[in-house]
Amino acid sequence: MGDVIATNQTILVVGGGISGISAAIEAAECGKQVILLEKSPSLGGRVSQLHKYFPKLCFPSCGIEINLRRIKANKNLRVITMAEVAKVTGDAGNYSVEVKIAPRFVNEKCTACGDCSNAVESEFDDEFNYGLKQRKGAYLVSNMAYPQRYVIDPRMIGSEDANKAKDACKVGAIDLQMQEESLTINVGAIIWATGWKPYDAKKIQPYGYDRFANVVTNVEFERMADAFGPTGGKILRPSDGKEAKNIAFIQCAGSRDENHLKHCSRICCMASLKQTTYVSEREGKSTVYYIDIRAIDRIDDFYQKVQADENVSFIKSKVANIIEDKDGNPILKGVDTEGYNRYENQHDLVVLATGMEPSIPADAFPMDIKINEEGFIEADESNGAIFAAGCSSDALDVNRAVQQATGAALRAIQVVNKVAGMEG
Amino acid sequence: MSNGNTALAEKYRNNFLQEVIANVEEGEWVRMCMQCGVCAGSCPLGNAWAHTPQEIFMMIRAGKREEVLTSDSMWMCTSCYNCIVRCPRKLPITHIMHGLAHYAERMGLAPKNQPTRKFALEFWKNLTKTGRVNETSLGVKLYFIDGFVSGIKKGLAALPLGLRMFKTKRLDPMAMISSSGCKGKGDIHKILAKAKAIEDAKFQSKNA
Amino acid sequence: MSEAEMKIGAYLCKGCGIGERLDMSAIAMITEREAKAHIVKEHDFLCGEEGVSLIQNDIDNEGVNRVAIGGCSRRAKTEAFTFGDIPVTRANWREGVIWIRPDTDEARETTNDMAADYIRMAVAEVKFMHKPEPNEERATNNRLLVVGGGISGMTAAVEASKAGYPVTIVEKTGALGGIAAQLHKRVPEKSPFAEPVDTGVAELIAAIDADKNIEVCLNSTLAKTDGAPGRFEVTVATESGSTEEKTFGAIVQASGFTPYDANKLPELGYGKSADVITQLELEKLVNDGAGDIIKRPSDGKQVSSVAFVQCAGQRSDKEGHLPYCSGHCCTTSIKQALYFKQSNPGIDTNIIYTDLRTPGAGGEDFYRSGQDKGVTFTKGNVSEVSSEGDSLAVKFKDLILNEDAQENVDLVVLATGMVPNSGPNIDSELTEEEKNAEEKPISILNLNYRQGSDMPQLKHGFNDSHFICFPYETRRTGIYTSGPVRRPMDIFQAKEDATGAALKGIQAIENAALGRAAHPRSGDLSFPSFQKSGCTQCKRCTVECPFGAIDEDEQRYPQFNEARCRRCGTCMGACPVRVISFKNYSVDSVGQQIKNVEMPDEFDEKPRILLLACENDAYPALDMAGMNRIEYSAFIRIIPVRCLGSVNLIWITDALNSGFDGVMLMGCKKGENYQCHFVKGSELAQIRTSKVDDTLQSLSLEPERVETHEVAITDIERIPQLINDMAATIERIGMSPFKF
Repeated sequence: MGDVIATNQTILVVGGGISGISAAIEAAECGKQVILLEKSPSLGGRVSQLHKYFPKLCFPSCGIEINLRRIKANKNLRVITMAEVAKVTGDAGNYSVEVKIAPRFVNEKCTACGDCSNAVESEFDDEFNYGLKQRKGAYLVSNMAYPQRYVIDPRMIGSEDANKAKDACKVGAIDLQMQEESLTINVGAIIWATGWKPYDAKKIQPYGYDRFANVVTNVEFERMADAFGPTGGKILRPSDGKEAKNIAFIQCAGSRDENHLKHCSRICCMASLKQTTYVSEREGKSTVYYIDIRAIDRIDDFYQKVQADENVSFIKSKVANIIEDKDGNPILKGVDTEGYNRYENQHDLVVLATGMEPSIPADAFPMDIKINEEGFIEADESNGAIFAAGCSSDALDVNRAVQQATGAALRAIQVVNKVAGMEG
Repeated sequence: MSNGNTALAEKYRNNFLQEVIANVEEGEWVRMCMQCGVCAGSCPLGNAWAHTPQEIFMMIRAGKREEVLTSDSMWMCTSCYNCIVRCPRKLPITHIMHGLAHYAERMGLAPKNQPTRKFALEFWKNLTKTGRVNETSLGVKLYFIDGFVSGIKKGLAALPLGLRMFKTKRLDPMAMISSSGCKGKGDIHKILAKAKAIEDAKFQSKNA
Repeated sequence: MSEAEMKIGAYLCKGCGIGERLDMSAIAMITEREAKAHIVKEHDFLCGEEGVSLIQNDIDNEGVNRVAIGGCSRRAKTEAFTFGDIPVTRANWREGVIWIRPDTDEARETTNDMAADYIRMAVAEVKFMHKPEPNEERATNNRLLVVGGGISGMTAAVEASKAGYPVTIVEKTGALGGIAAQLHKRVPEKSPFAEPVDTGVAELIAAIDADKNIEVCLNSTLAKTDGAPGRFEVTVATESGSTEEKTFGAIVQASGFTPYDANKLPELGYGKSADVITQLELEKLVNDGAGDIIKRPSDGKQVSSVAFVQCAGQRSDKEGHLPYCSGHCCTTSIKQALYFKQSNPGIDTNIIYTDLRTPGAGGEDFYRSGQDKGVTFTKGNVSEVSSEGDSLAVKFKDLILNEDAQENVDLVVLATGMVPNSGPNIDSELTEEEKNAEEKPISILNLNYRQGSDMPQLKHGFNDSHFICFPYETRRTGIYTSGPVRRPMDIFQAKEDATGAALKGIQAIENAALGRAAHPRSGDLSFPSFQKSGCTQCKRCTVECPFGAIDEDEQRYPQFNEARCRRCGTCMGACPVRVISFKNYSVDSVGQQIKNVEMPDEFDEKPRILLLACENDAYPALDMAGMNRIEYSAFIRIIPVRCLGSVNLIWITDALNSGFDGVMLMGCKKGENYQCHFVKGSELAQIRTSKVDDTLQSLSLEPERVETHEVAITDIERIPQLINDMAATIERIGMSPFKF
């Protein structure tokens, strides 16, 4: 990673998830100057919070490791974390971008030794684990965090704890006076890769996510399966900590639903099929309630494999509602539409396959850009040299997001090469 | 009406879906169902339904005209609107159910002894007669809807309730004979006759 | 560089608690006297500005040209400790020593031993690391070859040209356009995703015609492809028999697909009735009717009802069927049903499906649009299509109504799948059936590579990469596949895919020009060098290279093509006579680390275990074990390797001979869902170490002393456990007798 002076031949990538990382590295490895902005304290985005990828059941951190090594080795690429774009002005080949950088309260001297974290007592919900566990007020986001640098939670500032953290640091890396910074950079093209967020499951009232402890979302379930997650890799019921052995997966929880998200989020079928393997590995049973299983293209064989698992059953039904019995067991009610069979099934735990919502609401973009009804950026000439990458453009799986981000990198290169050509 | 029924069946050949779209209130929505079944599961009286709404929609697509229109399922709907608020495609399922029931009645295929249907007919008769519902006479009619003996039995069983209602002036036996209709009863009849004529004409022109 | 010119600076960091935990003065003395570093300096905070400039100053003013750092892991503070092209090694004292050892009096001695060994190893390693010299093979041809003039190929060409790179399209047929050109319309790509839209093929062809940067060779194929990124020598042959030699920097293979042969579906009436057609045949029928009136093939009667049978011969394990889903057919059937609805809304159109797959924003909107326009959808399994009087009877099980049903229609459209045009499968022998078949798979690239004529196939004939996070990383550097040859896909995706593939081609061109490695060791300037004199022509390197980078010359010596090489070192690990090495990674750079571990004598009760750990997964997992303070045995000595495939057996033999009590190898998962970034490294290591048993026997050592494990980067707790298990094993079976 190197220091880059931004010019109108620089490519700006907004968002440091898998799409943004891919677009940035691919462009930088073509010899282009790239600046990668990430809102949170470390790179990796949503995929870094996943336990495994479908259909290979391999671990996202494996690919992240390679990508981080590519970033560390590349002098054309500069990463700025805790940074958000406030405003974009200008035209293709010459944009002026106002960037706000939130204070981390830890400077680049940090060696990630962990002394500050050991010194403080205050704890906050751990965002990396979707609040399923607590973390210290001075913390490293995850084992794979890059930059490998601690963060001081802004809520701790002004407290005695903050001073303890500062005093514990032997290298003077903690700066409690750090303020928000503004930065204006000149770039030629912009790749917008702000990704997605899980749909707010509370809004699906009949499923009682906000009322029943044993109803969780698919992203939370990923954390539960992780050995370094909130349950140490065991699938435990939030209500009583008992191991869950009979798990229901509800597909289209928020997706394909005009009351919630109109679009199909594409990944949730494969994600649930993948998650049934976590359950089977732990000798549990899974039931998948679905409308259509969308195991698209050559990975359909993964669906076939899961279908062959006798511990997994499928019910073609959008679950109508969930109630809870006196022992906290969720009971799912609905009708299996294949032949009309009414059911009232008791499970230990329910996993809602919540869909993908674009991270940025349609009215909150800091620039003019064409957004479709679903909130995704649509390729359009009027967007100038602002190109969407990954899930900013549609609900995509990792493979397609990276593929699309690689294409976005070329579109940005076309613009800056043109600028270079004109400037000789 | 049974003649009309044969004629319509002929006109649409086996394409019952198009018949429903053309003639049933909100019937055009039937094609938008994606068979998720959330309506079926959400219905509080679902157990009483021979066919769930989503299944009825599939039967319509499959051309099962006779089975759908003679079914008592859509008569089971109590308009709780659970299905409507949950339908991911925003189908006005409650209205479609009523539309189908209404159409079945028009086609003369509705099940004759279905209680909801009988109640609806009594209610309509009672209401349109004077322009105002006579609760006492409607109540009594309903007690005897299944015949004299069963009416007496039901009446005796409900006697204590009836007495209490009488004491609190919630029940007026005199209303049985001196029904007070609304003002301009004749005009109401005219309005209803006109509405029926418009509806019939619309139906005729669609199926001419 | 001669020994005399070499000046090693060793910099010992005392920060992060290292200074408190280790006996720094003793270690500094060892570094100077035993490891023989020329300059040894200690610092309290080496990665800070002052520490880094201390090192930089020695490089600039003291002639230091090798740097060994004792401190944190090589994965931490990487940017701070990068000094141009000066070789740098790291003794991992933080994550690898003090964080994994208890801070107790009893542990102090063994912890110090560990740290002392690691700095000995770091200095030994750096002595055998050299600045990579510029690759002589660098070539700078920047023209992109696109194989295939369908929608993917045309898109790749146009997009690459827009970035300023010249392109040649080689198309087998007499026209550009491919299968997309046969379509009436395509599925919409923009909101409101409601109506079929123009295919865009004519527009693309016009753009290519107008672009002086794009050359088109029609009726042409590749007769031979030789060379490497930056210098692919390609013989383009035309149908008429003439050939032309052309040079390219990189290749995008967009050879597309062949429609599945519907004759294999007699049960669905194909071939029996002219009115049973495939989706592609319907496109022609619609084009013939100019889109307005669609007439059925048998008697020209205007079609009044049509059934679409989804997954025809797909998603099925029946003999001759395709096991996969072709991804596009659901939306394609909706589009085609709309052709009928647009010509006459009264036409009955029924799509019979098992799972309707219309993903994303566009997919679901288009599904709704189809329903809105009166297309009906039936969840069912079609068992038979047959003629019945004037119509076709479609027999199916209606899965919702749970009954056998039949629908009589004028026309049946089968949604058959895509068969990739990927050429012969270079990894498998032809089956008897294929040998006898009239049409054998025709090579697309005709690569003149030692390992075969075409791109390796992943599954079901597709040339996809195996990596979810790196979809373009093929096993032939500089050649990228795109479109349905890679994975079943629709037009929109094919265009996106082609744009990405074009970028990868451009990147390969840029890398080749600088002599740099491509993913995953991006930017690595080293490349394998080879001493011909010792070579026994055993061919292991040429056979085992996962990237087909090594050919054989006329005398059967290996011929390295550096620009194809990904620097994994598999060739180095394979070579029995150890004549292959890299400037910065060699049999010596690792072997010397092993030799420089101080070997306590047999009665010291301090066993030594060597762990060769894959740097991509096992090594990061060990670092994370340290970050989580998970303790493991102080008797382990860990050396990161580029890939387990680069492990040369001599290291294991040498280790055992020099008194190591145990040797562990940790690499990535192998087999069907392999996770090895160099594809076969882990698998090859497993095969090679299976031969270690002979060595062990000849030394009269127990087989338990050598273990190979498949691990993942997430095995943060498991790897320490494996190490401790090995330590326990050694305790059980006793120390090695080979300690001198």
